[in-house]
Amino acid sequence: MPLFSSKSKTPHEAVRYLNDMIPSLKNSKEKEHKKISEEVTKTLHILKTQLYGSQEQEGSDLGAQISAEIVTSDMLHVLIENLAYIDFEGRKDVVAIVNNVLRRQIGVRTPAAEAISRSDLIFLLINGYENQEIALNCGMMLRECARHLVLVTQILNNARFYKFFEYVEVSTFDIASDAFSTFKELLTRHKVDVATFLEQQYDPFFTHYQSLLNSENYVTRRQALKLLGELLLDRFNFTVMNRYISQPENLKLMMNLLREKSKNIQFEAFHVFKIFVANPNKPKPIMDILLRNRERLVDFLTKFHTERSEDEQFNDEKSYLIKQIKELKPVEENVSYQIKEENMS
Amino acid sequence: MAAVATADSGVSWPNDKDDYELLGVIGAGATAVVQAAHCKPRNEKVAIKRINLEKCNTTVEELLKEIRAMSQCKHENVVCYYTSFVVKDELWVVMKLCGGGSMLDIIKMRMRAGYGKTGVLDEACIATILKEVLKGLEYFHASGQIHRDIKAGNILISDDGAVFVADFGVSAWLATGKDLTRDAVRHTFVGTPCWMAPEVMEQVTGYDFKADIWSFGITAIELATGTAPYHKFPPMKVLMLTLQNEPPTLDTNAEDKDQYKGYSKIFRKMISDCLKKDPEKRPTAKQLLKHEFFKKAKDKAYLQKTLLAEGPPVKGQKVKRVPGSSGRLHKTEDGGWEWSDEEMDKESEAGRLAMAEGRSPRVRASPDQILEVPIPSTSVDDGKVEMIPASEEATGKQASNAVPPSSAAAAASETPVSEPEPSVSTAATPAPATDLKPRNLVLRLRNEKRDLNDIRFDFNPGVDTSDSVSRELVEAGLVDGRDMVVVAANLQKMVDKTDLTNITFALNSGCGPNEAPDDKALIGFAQLTINES
Repeated sequence: MPLFSSKSKTPHEAVRYLNDMIPSLKNSKEKEHKKISEEVTKTLHILKTQLYGSQEQEGSDLGAQISAEIVTSDMLHVLIENLAYIDFEGRKDVVAIVNNVLRRQIGVRTPAAEAISRSDLIFLLINGYENQEIALNCGMMLRECARHLVLVTQILNNARFYKFFEYVEVSTFDIASDAFSTFKELLTRHKVDVATFLEQQYDPFFTHYQSLLNSENYVTRRQALKLLGELLLDRFNFTVMNRYISQPENLKLMMNLLREKSKNIQFEAFHVFKIFVANPNKPKPIMDILLRNRERLVDFLTKFHTERSEDEQFNDEKSYLIKQIKELKPVEENVSYQIKEENMS
Repeated sequence: MAAVATADSGVSWPNDKDDYELLGVIGAGATAVVQAAHCKPRNEKVAIKRINLEKCNTTVEELLKEIRAMSQCKHENVVCYYTSFVVKDELWVVMKLCGGGSMLDIIKMRMRAGYGKTGVLDEACIATILKEVLKGLEYFHASGQIHRDIKAGNILISDDGAVFVADFGVSAWLATGKDLTRDAVRHTFVGTPCWMAPEVMEQVTGYDFKADIWSFGITAIELATGTAPYHKFPPMKVLMLTLQNEPPTLDTNAEDKDQYKGYSKIFRKMISDCLKKDPEKRPTAKQLLKHEFFKKAKDKAYLQKTLLAEGPPVKGQKVKRVPGSSGRLHKTEDGGWEWSDEEMDKESEAGRLAMAEGRSPRVRASPDQILEVPIPSTSVDDGKVEMIPASEEATGKQASNAVPPSSAAAAASETPVSEPEPSVSTAATPAPATDLKPRNLVLRLRNEKRDLNDIRFDFNPGVDTSDSVSRELVEAGLVDGRDMVVVAANLQKMVDKTDLTNITFALNSGCGPNEAPDDKALIGFAQLTINES
């Protein structure tokens, strides 16, 4: 037990204590480490309570004050950089503190997000996925960061964004799927900006994405396929969708996924496949594939997931696809498609 | 890096199924099996929960929530989570093995052995177990979590008599409510509601950690009498009884009036404190720990001696088929375990029931529901598609404020709702050649703000295709992208069947977070009408 009660610390003292002591966790020896670690965890808990508690009292700006002090004293940096050295319970409070500070606004400004965007902290958080001990804590903070456009832009504009394609495939399920939810959050929260990103980075992004759809891991495949459907069917990504559904290799992949053993994967694949068929301006290569497989597709779709008799939308869509495929007519060769094809290759 | 506090100094937990030798089955739920296993690199016994992700109706996000909750708990009374990984279409969750089994197993075994008449366990035993459970609950609640599924089946005993709270399975399911994306199955009921607090059943207001205290009280009755109150009744009846009757007591289950008279007043008082219908009046876990009843609590050696003396209640049965191959374990009538082949394994009854439960929009729609009066929203003025707010009077007859069909048609015919260069040949034949006059259609659905709108447009057979029109509606922001194909599909139905003048159809985009699907009020549904002029 420490000689002085940590309860007596004012928020100001708590911030100062943590800023001073947390960095020393890294180098301290066993006995000393244990002592500091306990006190740090206790102080983090008190700070968290003060930060959260003050939100409920109307007119009290204690929380705002603590938050401002955390941001200006660069405590976010201290907390994130040393996260692995803080103990298990302490880390949870770090997440609570950081996420609370990130939520706070002064007018239209979000000081914490701005401070993070001026540093490389966001990448420290992303690297956190490489350390099993802190991966989920970092994930929780990253998803809070993903609410802020400035931070999402910072990530998307950096090559380290592509690290996510590795993280979502690590063998530990909770870390991989946590990384996937962060990945999804980054790609779905700020739609306009993400659409621009996807248009500009179309090739590298979808090359990477292809590997997720072909992953050995059932969960990765299923999740990636579902997210793909969501991304393509978001009207903000219309341009991206048009490009995606004009590429024959994408259609081939979906047709293969339609025949996977897993019913869930088949079902998700259906929701991407349908976009190719419902495209009023199918390019010739797409048309050719569909025509070549017309009989088999009609036959396949007729027997496809017949047990979903209660899913109206699905049945509407399925009968529509069958009809459309049955009535397909070859595209007359025309100049514009040839030009398009040349551009694509 | 030496200072990084790792929980154990040994080999880290492997994520390869070949590092685990599967032993007997400990328990099984609808889509999951728990098996004992030997972790070879660490030379340690563990429990592995194998969840079949193909059969399991839970989304990966929900499972992640469960495991995340578990991994964020380190407490001597909470089952320790080690790692989790994917094996084919199964998720393997590796946890601490509690060799003593669950309290449900122990109770059942004791009842079979004839302890049941005046109470299955003595008060010292119950107090010892429940005190440990409370410590676990106090930890949960302090870290802002609600367990949501406290019951004897989720209280595990290790070989040395230590008590652990297990299974975070339900936690996420109830919290997130219905998943309104296209996943067909929604979780309406999880398990039997015998342990469920009244406020959870009502689902009107949110509920908090006090719901766990109710379940804790029910568990106390279960440990004493062997079953939860109302366990004989079907779920709906349990809901009714819990909501209508006075809170249950030890004697609710009794066949004989004096059957459980051996239990003390103080125990009964503790139970009735927990089972207050008003959650506010229930004590917190912290307060409950100070309850006089828990002075009767002893230590784990006592539990080991009284509960485990006769050996573990569930002896691991050998699995008949090679584990890791797909298939499903299920219990046979004689209580043994059996694998069934994929081909044979039809979707479980429970799954189909849940499916029906989740998809009952039509049943729930009250026939007298009238369309709400919407807040007028801006019309799209691009000359192609005209959108006007639907009004109540528009439901039955033509809306008086609607643009006359003729003018809409005129506007539309100038700039048809189609791509500039529609390649007619690429799409389906739109309509019989005999009927080529433009159709004036109205698509009524809710926009992003959930206001009801009429989108009026012309469809020129021979020029427009369902695909192209639907795409345009999406591009203009009038239809959600997820509904692009389903709108096209229904448009096509309309075009194909000339006698059809009105279709209501379900949308993929579903309904808002606080809405229930309703085809009359067009929540989660859209309506397509032909405007005869």
